[in-house]
Amino acid sequence: MARWGMVINLAKCTRCHACVAACRIEHFLPLRVTWPRLIALEVDEGYKVDVSTYPVRCNQCKDAPCVDACPTEASYKREDGIVAIDHDKCFGCRYCIIACPYQNRTYLSRKRDPGWFPGHPKTSIEKKGEKLYPHQRGTTEKCNFCMERIDEGLPKGLKPGIDRDATPACVNTCQAKALTFGDLDDPNSNVSRLLREKSGFVLHPEYGTDPSVYYIDYKLGGNDNTAPRESQTGYVVQHLSTVYEPSKAKLAVKHERGKKAVKDNCE
Amino acid sequence: MANREVVYTTCKSCHGGCGVKVTKEDGVIVKIEGNDKSLTGGTMCAKGLSSIQHIDNPYRIKYPMKQVGKKGEGKWKRISWDEALDTVAAKMKAAIADPGPQSIAISQGTGRGYNRYTMRMARSLGTGNAITPGYVCHSPRLGLYALVTGYGRLYCDYHGWGGVFPKTQIMWAKQLEISSADSEMCYWFMNSLDYVKNLIIIDPRASAYASRANLWIQPRPGTDSALALGMMNVIMEEELWDKDFVENWTYGFEELREHVKEWTPEKVSNTCWIPKEDVITAARMWAIDTPGTIQVGSSLERQANCGHTLRAITCLMGLAGNIEAPGSMISWVLPDTGLIEDFNLELPITDEMKKNIIGGDRFKMGATRTCNPDAMVKRILEGKSPIKVWFSVGGQQIVHMANTKEVVKAIEMVDFMSHTDLFMGPMAEAADIVLPAAHWLELDDVYDMHPRFFIEAHNKVVDPPGEARSDAWIFNEVGKRVVPDKWWNDDYEMLDYQLRRGKGKDGESALTWKDFSEKLISGCYGPDQVYYKYKTDFWKEGGGFPTPSGQFEFKSQHLESLGYPGLPQFAEPGESPVSTPDLYKEYPIVMSSGYRQPFYFLGQYRNIPWLRSFMEFPTCQLHPETAKLYDVEDGDIVWIESPRGRIRQKLRTFPGIKKGVLMATANCFYPEEPAKGYHGVFISNPNVLTSNNHLDPMYGSPDLTCLLCKVYKAKDEELTESVFHTEEYGFVPSSGMQDV
Repeated sequence: MARWGMVINLAKCTRCHACVAACRIEHFLPLRVTWPRLIALEVDEGYKVDVSTYPVRCNQCKDAPCVDACPTEASYKREDGIVAIDHDKCFGCRYCIIACPYQNRTYLSRKRDPGWFPGHPKTSIEKKGEKLYPHQRGTTEKCNFCMERIDEGLPKGLKPGIDRDATPACVNTCQAKALTFGDLDDPNSNVSRLLREKSGFVLHPEYGTDPSVYYIDYKLGGNDNTAPRESQTGYVVQHLSTVYEPSKAKLAVKHERGKKAVKDNCE
Repeated sequence: MANREVVYTTCKSCHGGCGVKVTKEDGVIVKIEGNDKSLTGGTMCAKGLSSIQHIDNPYRIKYPMKQVGKKGEGKWKRISWDEALDTVAAKMKAAIADPGPQSIAISQGTGRGYNRYTMRMARSLGTGNAITPGYVCHSPRLGLYALVTGYGRLYCDYHGWGGVFPKTQIMWAKQLEISSADSEMCYWFMNSLDYVKNLIIIDPRASAYASRANLWIQPRPGTDSALALGMMNVIMEEELWDKDFVENWTYGFEELREHVKEWTPEKVSNTCWIPKEDVITAARMWAIDTPGTIQVGSSLERQANCGHTLRAITCLMGLAGNIEAPGSMISWVLPDTGLIEDFNLELPITDEMKKNIIGGDRFKMGATRTCNPDAMVKRILEGKSPIKVWFSVGGQQIVHMANTKEVVKAIEMVDFMSHTDLFMGPMAEAADIVLPAAHWLELDDVYDMHPRFFIEAHNKVVDPPGEARSDAWIFNEVGKRVVPDKWWNDDYEMLDYQLRRGKGKDGESALTWKDFSEKLISGCYGPDQVYYKYKTDFWKEGGGFPTPSGQFEFKSQHLESLGYPGLPQFAEPGESPVSTPDLYKEYPIVMSSGYRQPFYFLGQYRNIPWLRSFMEFPTCQLHPETAKLYDVEDGDIVWIESPRGRIRQKLRTFPGIKKGVLMATANCFYPEEPAKGYHGVFISNPNVLTSNNHLDPMYGSPDLTCLLCKVYKAKDEELTESVFHTEEYGFVPSSGMQDV
């Protein structure tokens, strides 16, 4: 059985908040509820300034204190390592919120949801969301690694972290590719390789909860600038043209020397 | 069973270009995500994703309306499209008859992709007085790059199509990573970071990658040309320039070499307030580790020495031979659909139109096809304005132009103004007629922001609210009524026309909108792109650059012919510790309005709940030590004051900012504030503080990112909005009726 985990690249995160927005869309989150968060770290260490952003979300800990604290067994550990909540069992005691040392759980207040635009009727999208992803008020919520996507994707033969449809929405949308998702138990998975190559770490290991969310950090630069073959062929965009071949640069192929330049570049 | 449908389109939440996949269920959008089969690999930013909150947004403008109170009072009455369009057309026709077409101004903002429509509208009416934010964003770059490459598009090659990625990357006053403007480029830039040897950030404020870059230089705002000149000096002294390129393909090298001699690292260090080692290290990295790219940010274009700063940076590119090589600065070959801007360029600008461009006599590089907005404001206030009718689309001139108080006063003096937009903002409130525009999820159009190697399709996903219509439709309807021979029967004919040079499905016939919307993209990429165009006949028979000398011009003959120095110069900002030492005693902090957040696009999106939740209040940053010096603390609401006035922002102390420099969030107004006072445009907008007196001689750009200010804590009694509800802050007194 896999143990799903996430590796977050602190060197690449730009604090753009796209992961937060993608999560809100995926789970139709009420306005003030946020599953992933961004924590800013801005310190002057005397000899250097460190400006970083720590994206945090439920760590899906192996030894999850929230599961232990739950009196109704609403919070439970799935076989694949994801900590899930059975909202029918949760009665809103909020012990788990206190138990989570990382403060990654949110209580969804029983008060009426004012909607995106308080004082105005709810939008068609919000109404749709109430049916597609009903939130139970008066219960606790948190990131679930988009387990609905994983559960739907696996029977179709999709690989979480590789195939988009089985990968968490925040990972898919990250423009910096700062988020990587995969199987921590598989030593050859994308996440395991990253952790080995870039010496991954967890936040606050002293809590002793064995999180499934890891971080990597390194200095940018110092790389070889040779482009891999697939960048040179522009394959990323070529398969887009389902109807036609990509357009030819008319002027470029007209001149012999131009042709040579194209050829040189491709070889 | 719910009926699910997927529509592929292109995002336009900033300059855009990211591929989007929208899922609808029973006609309602239930998900927006990136299209993985697009240039941007299925990624999207918070702005694009939050577009979902534009749908059914209760604050959208749904119907054409006319102002029934005084300008800025916020009293509106719904009218029909026919009445609105006929009124605009009648005003235009009357103005063309007397005093002439030059009395019509066509203005635009930066987003939504109407650039070619506004310019065609201006040209078809016969006026050169188009108002764009170009003079403070991108237009100086286009003009000055054009002195070298002919058509002015010099982009960083982040794609690796030529076999290599840039070895040295300079982010000069630019945060491409948060994409505020060019999301599509941002994706490729961040990808190329995995292959970069030297990443150099030049920014007084730490951008996301500053503390992990190889070199981070924090120059004093407004001194960037000195840094560029100093880097050239080091390259000259250490003989690091690209010998082959300089010898064979350039003009004016010896003169430049002589010219930069005075810019020793010590002098640069004193001017820019940086260690001299930074200058030397940056120059060596840039000249030795080629190929390299310089991503220029528009903050450099918001300075009154912007022309020369960009000239200096262009020369730096040439010295290192970083022109047209794979992984360097490159002018992209266009797709088969050609230059989409030809849509407006095909209507020539006549001498008569040129003669009447406001500011054209002063700003010979900038005000040649569009007018200089700051000069226009001054002319209106002098009572000599030729502007009688102002057709405004999207942009918030009140917000982004220098000296807000003067801008508002001038705009209120214009006889007739119409404004097209999604939401009521300061410009809409100043208008006589407001036209409702459609969001990019609600329209069919061609995406082409900065014409590069591709164009994409915006496909309509849902119907616009009420009677809102696409910008293309609005332009065509107005154009049709005034100059019918230059416009089309309907907007889809116009789209077909723009695409006509592309090849249709059969490879023979002209590309039509219908086919293109299915195809999504027309591009020239991968092995089809061409490098080293100057070594081929591409620009010039026998090779070379399309310049007067046929070479890369370190010394510009064109600039000299216009009366400007041919070699790049340094000039202090209009207000700075050096140029105005007395003022500096009273206003002891160097200020820049260059602080941008990744979830806002200029003046937009403060009314989108998800995005507003990321930063509720406009925020400024000071170094903790500087803050201590002026007795303000993190989290305080502070007054920022300049000789022009004062604004309020929230203070965040930030160790990543240069000591003695304050960075304020730009372009902020409060959509939730009442119409009176123009939605709070005077409360926190840094342009209340900026001056429109000291302008760049070439482009007329004002000092928006380099001025002087002082900062002090706001008293508790000053934290109410009523402080601003006075005429001093543009709050229009009610006409008779009690305000409710």
